[in-house]
Amino acid sequence: MSSVPHGRVSGRRRRSPLPYTWQKGYLLAGPAFVVMLAIFVYPLGYSFLMSFFRWDLSGSAPFIGTGNYTDELFGRQFNQALRNQIIFSVVSITVEVVAGMAIAVLVNGELRGMRLARTLLLVPPMIAPAVVGLNFRWLFNTQYGLVDALLRMFNLPSIPWLSDPTWALVSVIIADVWQNTPLMVLLFLAGLQSLPQEPLEAATVDGAGPWQRFWHIVLPLMRPVIMIALMLRIIDTFRTFDVVWLMTQGGPGGASDLLTVYAYLLAFQAVDFGHAAAVSYIALGMSLVVLGLLYGVPWLIAKRRAI
Amino acid sequence: MSGNLSRRKFLAAGATVAAGSLAAPWIARAQANEITALLITGGPLYPKYWEKIVQDFTAKTGIKVRYDLLEFTPLTSKVVTLSAARSSQYDVYSTHTAQIDSYFSHFAPLNSYFSESELADFYPVAVKYLRDPKNGNLAAIPRNMDARVQYYRSDIYQEKGLKPAETWEELVDVGLKLTGNGHYGLVVPGQGDPAQRTFSDLLWQAGGDWVDQANKPAFNSEAGIKALTFYRDLVQKHKIVPPDAVGYQWNENSTEFSSGTVYANFDWPGAFATLSNPDTSRVVGKWSSAPYVRDKAAISCAISHAMALNGQSGRKDPAVEFIKYTVGPEAQRLQFDEFTNFPSSQAIAKEVITAAKGPQAAWLQQLETTIANGKEWPKLPGFSKVCTLMFSAIEQALTDQVSPSDSLNQAAVEAEDAMRRAGAYD
Repeated sequence: MSSVPHGRVSGRRRRSPLPYTWQKGYLLAGPAFVVMLAIFVYPLGYSFLMSFFRWDLSGSAPFIGTGNYTDELFGRQFNQALRNQIIFSVVSITVEVVAGMAIAVLVNGELRGMRLARTLLLVPPMIAPAVVGLNFRWLFNTQYGLVDALLRMFNLPSIPWLSDPTWALVSVIIADVWQNTPLMVLLFLAGLQSLPQEPLEAATVDGAGPWQRFWHIVLPLMRPVIMIALMLRIIDTFRTFDVVWLMTQGGPGGASDLLTVYAYLLAFQAVDFGHAAAVSYIALGMSLVVLGLLYGVPWLIAKRRAI
Repeated sequence: MSGNLSRRKFLAAGATVAAGSLAAPWIARAQANEITALLITGGPLYPKYWEKIVQDFTAKTGIKVRYDLLEFTPLTSKVVTLSAARSSQYDVYSTHTAQIDSYFSHFAPLNSYFSESELADFYPVAVKYLRDPKNGNLAAIPRNMDARVQYYRSDIYQEKGLKPAETWEELVDVGLKLTGNGHYGLVVPGQGDPAQRTFSDLLWQAGGDWVDQANKPAFNSEAGIKALTFYRDLVQKHKIVPPDAVGYQWNENSTEFSSGTVYANFDWPGAFATLSNPDTSRVVGKWSSAPYVRDKAAISCAISHAMALNGQSGRKDPAVEFIKYTVGPEAQRLQFDEFTNFPSSQAIAKEVITAAKGPQAAWLQQLETTIANGKEWPKLPGFSKVCTLMFSAIEQALTDQVSPSDSLNQAAVEAEDAMRRAGAYD
């Protein structure tokens, strides 16, 4: 009779074989798991580590604790990029959500030409951001651009879209709004078309006007869709790069610098990976905090109401 | 399927597959008598040029060269990434004086591969700024020179009885006479590295320099403020430059002149070929060249495209043979014939200048004078970071966000801090 306890061989705990369905699951998920580990988890962890070192290709890379973070948080260029990022995110998301909802309500009707309008709405999100950036760079050129040509046609003054610090930020916001509002429209349209009709019909019978129906019925019912739209756009605006890089490269003088553009300049122009990684992680942290607030605050309010 | 696959076995198999995938490129590359190179391209002629160079080199030496081509900006980004990863993917890199200080620890020194007499043939300004000032190591070898001269519309100037400007004052005077009806007398770039190059030229011309004897920032001196004020006034006060120029880099700068909108600019040697080609220029036969303008001094930047040896390369000897071939007489002559790239070898430059005739001879002479008087910003630790500070500082002054003196003073404080952190004063 064996004296080895059940489940152990030669002092080592024998691992019980996995059920067949689990093995299959592991094998099928295996390639994706390896790829995720190699191209997502590893670089993320490595760059996080990098943010605590002076990493500038000079040969040595000394550990400097949170030095890169404090340098940036108190630095002029970072604070300028942060200010621009906040303006860019708040303004573009607000315009996109408000305009997106308005257009969605409009194209949700059965007016003539709405099918064509819905199809055309697919075009801007399908265009690569780099192409959008190049197109807007030319559209906003004061000598050859279409926009200023139209202004001149109506005897309006020329606008220094890309060469004036204020207008440069406005210009990149316009490009972002142009590309992403249709995406909001499509999201909201899908939401509007899946709304239950009974509450709307009941409100109509009770004499509620279109605005009252929208404000008191449609908008509360659309809240989950709006939250998803906001989440998508918050994540997106914190990683916007191509459009800004191709239109202004963050200029003039950092006037349209966003955190991504600033991080790119630090990494590939200043060859300072430590600071670039720190800026990237601050941006990531900020977007997580904003998303946390977006979902956490309503949850807390709902919980308090329930109590 | 086996019935006893455990998590442990699964993870072990995954690790083996991952290790194999990571090792595969190195195994595949370990082919004898073959080197790899990451080379610069730009325009339709470059791929043919490199193809010919590589074919000729292989025919002469038996060494095969596998190469990839990238344009300047993506090439720079890729070299930065590969250097950070200590990659041995490429044995040879195309590089440039502009960011060479970032690679001093990553490019293998070329000193021992070139004799003193061989090095003496290259323009001294090119070799000087490719060396690490701390130890004298030569990080790269110049392949062709980059310097600028003035290009102007000879037809318009003749019609209006004007001569190309020689001084800053004349530049403004001539510009004012030419500006109007949708045309501008001058174009200068105003964004990023091109803006810094332009400021740099004006700084030296005004009698200033980037750093003092102790390597502390000195670009905010009286000369620096005068240079940046003059630069800003070209755009904001005299308005002889297109207003969008504050967002221009080299391409827009060249296009404004070659399209006929602007009547003068300062451009690189490649402009000669571009402006002479009807496919790329509307002003063929209507332009001429003149020396760069001067103030107290006639100095502007003289830099070079260069070739470097990856410090991680396992095939350094054949790689250096290729580098030597790319900077040798045949390759330099071919470069000049194909792209009018100015040779980095003084002997070949003399040869092409002697053989040139008419406007090309005058242009080559002007370029050589610029190179002889040329300078470059210092290659000190942390200076790449200073460059990004300067992009912002110059752009802010050009767009009137901050006065030139405030802008330069703030940049000087930040620059000293950046260089100190990078070890420039250790």
